[in-house]
Amino acid sequence: MGSAVTVLPFGETLEVEPGESVLKAILRQGRFVKYGCKHGGCSTCRAKVVQGDYELSDNTSFSLSDADRTEGIVLLCSTFVDGDELVVDVSRTMDDLSEDEYLAGQHVQEYVATVGEIKALTHDIRWLELRLDDPVGFPFVAGQYVEVAVPGTADRWRSFSMANPPGEPGRVDLIIKVIPGGAFSAALDGSVARGDRLRLRGPFGQFGIRLSHRPMIMLAGGSGMAPVLAMLKDLVATRNRREVIFFYGARARRDLFLVDELTDLARDHNWLTFVPALSEPGAADGDWVGDTGLITEVLTRHCPSTKGMEGYLCGPPPMIDAAIDVLKATGCKERHIYFDRFVPSG
Amino acid sequence: MAPKLEAVHAKGKRYDWGFDYARPDPKFPTRYIIPPNGKDPFRIMMRGYASMETEKDNRVYGGLDSDVRYRNANVAEPRFMEAMKFAVPAFTDAEYQAVTGAGFLVASVKNQEMRQGFAAQMLDEVRHTQLEVGLRKYYLKNYHDPAGFDIGQIALGNHPVGTLARASFQPFNTGDPIEVSMCLNVVLETAYTNPLVVALPQVATVNGDHAMPTAFLSIQSDESRHMANGYGTLMCVVQEPDNVPFLQESLERHFWHQHMSMDTLVGVVSEYYAVNRPWAYKDVWEEWVVDDFVGSYMSRLSSFGLRPPDRLGEVARFVEDMHHSVAIALAAIWPLNFWRIDPMGPADYEWFENHYPGWTARYGGLWDAYRAMSDPSSGRILMQELPALPPFCQVCHVPCVMPRIDAPETRIFDHEGKRYAVCSEGCQWIFNLNPKIYTGCAGWWERFDGMDLADVILALGYVRPDGKTLMGQPHLNAERMWTIDDIRRLNYEVKDPLRM
Repeated sequence: MGSAVTVLPFGETLEVEPGESVLKAILRQGRFVKYGCKHGGCSTCRAKVVQGDYELSDNTSFSLSDADRTEGIVLLCSTFVDGDELVVDVSRTMDDLSEDEYLAGQHVQEYVATVGEIKALTHDIRWLELRLDDPVGFPFVAGQYVEVAVPGTADRWRSFSMANPPGEPGRVDLIIKVIPGGAFSAALDGSVARGDRLRLRGPFGQFGIRLSHRPMIMLAGGSGMAPVLAMLKDLVATRNRREVIFFYGARARRDLFLVDELTDLARDHNWLTFVPALSEPGAADGDWVGDTGLITEVLTRHCPSTKGMEGYLCGPPPMIDAAIDVLKATGCKERHIYFDRFVPSG
Repeated sequence: MAPKLEAVHAKGKRYDWGFDYARPDPKFPTRYIIPPNGKDPFRIMMRGYASMETEKDNRVYGGLDSDVRYRNANVAEPRFMEAMKFAVPAFTDAEYQAVTGAGFLVASVKNQEMRQGFAAQMLDEVRHTQLEVGLRKYYLKNYHDPAGFDIGQIALGNHPVGTLARASFQPFNTGDPIEVSMCLNVVLETAYTNPLVVALPQVATVNGDHAMPTAFLSIQSDESRHMANGYGTLMCVVQEPDNVPFLQESLERHFWHQHMSMDTLVGVVSEYYAVNRPWAYKDVWEEWVVDDFVGSYMSRLSSFGLRPPDRLGEVARFVEDMHHSVAIALAAIWPLNFWRIDPMGPADYEWFENHYPGWTARYGGLWDAYRAMSDPSSGRILMQELPALPPFCQVCHVPCVMPRIDAPETRIFDHEGKRYAVCSEGCQWIFNLNPKIYTGCAGWWERFDGMDLADVILALGYVRPDGKTLMGQPHLNAERMWTIDDIRRLNYEVKDPLRM
């Protein structure tokens, strides 16, 4: 069972997972406090414990003096909650950290957007184009998601990843799986129409490409295509040279979309290989010449060793769990596997 | 009521000083636009800097005292202690160059907040220099074979590792001030002090030496503030779009150069001077340099248009092999060293093969030969078996055996009537950026061309107090040490490979 940390002077309580440092918990939940080395060396993440029990790891031996310890000064990167709740105060140790900076870990804002084109990519996947009206600037990282308010509700939100890359001011493209009876997705086939105005907030999420030299495996299913598409287009815009293999899994051909666009992208950029695959080809798919089988099986066939590579996974949780196992078993380091689990929400 | 800390700090930042006791203009001009306002990262200064550093010093010297009482210098693995003979003076060189570098930046940057940060860094670097000299003194007085520790800084100055260190650390105080900060604060301190000052102490600990970690972890606790100096500088200048191409070029240059020297130094020490190895260096490099520096630090700058170094993939390729090549090259020239090199044995072979598949086929034979010739009665040294001595790179001064000794990518070329060698495409690119920086340094072999090896050793001063036994030895045994007479009997003439 996890515990909690309250960060003063902002007065916000955040959850802390078992074995997680207080700093990691704060950053994981999209908040910002000052930090440097993250291993007890630099003293940047100093804070004072006001209430609660904690354990401090040994790597603070040089960075905290005896006087600090007596006063209850800790380093958040090396502090672990021992009990239900810990209250820490950063007001004197990070005295120029403003509340805006703390909260703007992710620069989340609310926006108003106008609906543009809505088109059917498959029988149950829709492409939704939005134009931001206010404000127009929307800084995000390819791989992040936005929340859209269900029309007619005050506080019901649905999460969708951007399918477009950053750098196109005012534009938000979403790929949405229609859930029958879903409050928002089902409305795309009826009540939501071009010219309607929607409320958005974001960006959210940590999913995105990590800068490195390593080849990348991207693997997606369903509407998990969206963040991968954004990342690929962003890689094109930033003149990428790292090798990318994108595996996209669908049940049957009727579930595949944007295949031509991705095939063209791979043809134009020799760092990209696109591998669409069908897991349950039907009678109508007799002329399919591409890969078949579970997408994780296809991954293993194409990449028997993933040592030294990075994995970017997006789609249904069972697919992600299976892909993580395959990547680890074939040599990819766990810390180089990044994912965004898509949980159905209509 | 006490004033708010922020108010006190703001008041502190208003303290500025003009001076007429030194050149009012920077020694080197800058091509960057430096905004007058920045963000001083040294907020800790006002409250507790001096007391914190004093306590840290006290702990280090207390730690050394207890090491003396427990005779730890002779409990540690001798193989590791031998590495300290060249590594500690090399670190001290870095600290000293950083002292002058931080002072140079104080004088060069017309931005009071950044000056505050650099002024405090200069104090830190002085402290580090003193700690490292204290550490070497501890080794000298307590290790059973002090030869080499006794003339550490002089010995380093004469050795190719010393040339490598000078080439690597002199950019800390020479050139455009922003590029000085890029080299010192951003590349060396942000990307490379973690492998140097956090990872290496782990190796020391598992090999029984507690003194080095005590001193170096104390040093490391200051480094993050120096990283903040670099970040503050970068964030200040990167906001001027005209600066970005210069910053990118500077990053490319210093990242490649520091990679060549630091990855070699840490890789060689951590794997070839250790009996117990906590990790393979390539994994440490992946974590600290790629995941932390490139993946985290650089990503925060990418929105300004600054990209990771273009040669990152090339660096990764070199990191797989280069320290193996340099380790055996240093072993091959062992009479010219001021420390001893233990031959690799079966347990080492097994470890290397497990962590670097193919190692035995590539390097095993060379280490077999080195071991077979370790006794003076063999009458041979590995150096004699080489087709030619490897030249040292004119840019990074690593021996030109990169990335693999059996497949070096050396480039030999003429520039203004003189022949030079560089170890790689990356160093060739750096040389071409501004050849004047690199052509002033004579090649290491050039000094000794045509001399008998014994006379070279005497000229370097690498002989023990008895006047005949060499400091460098190809084994760790107390007996059967090579003497200058053994070397003279080899009748080996040093030949500059660039004149052959």
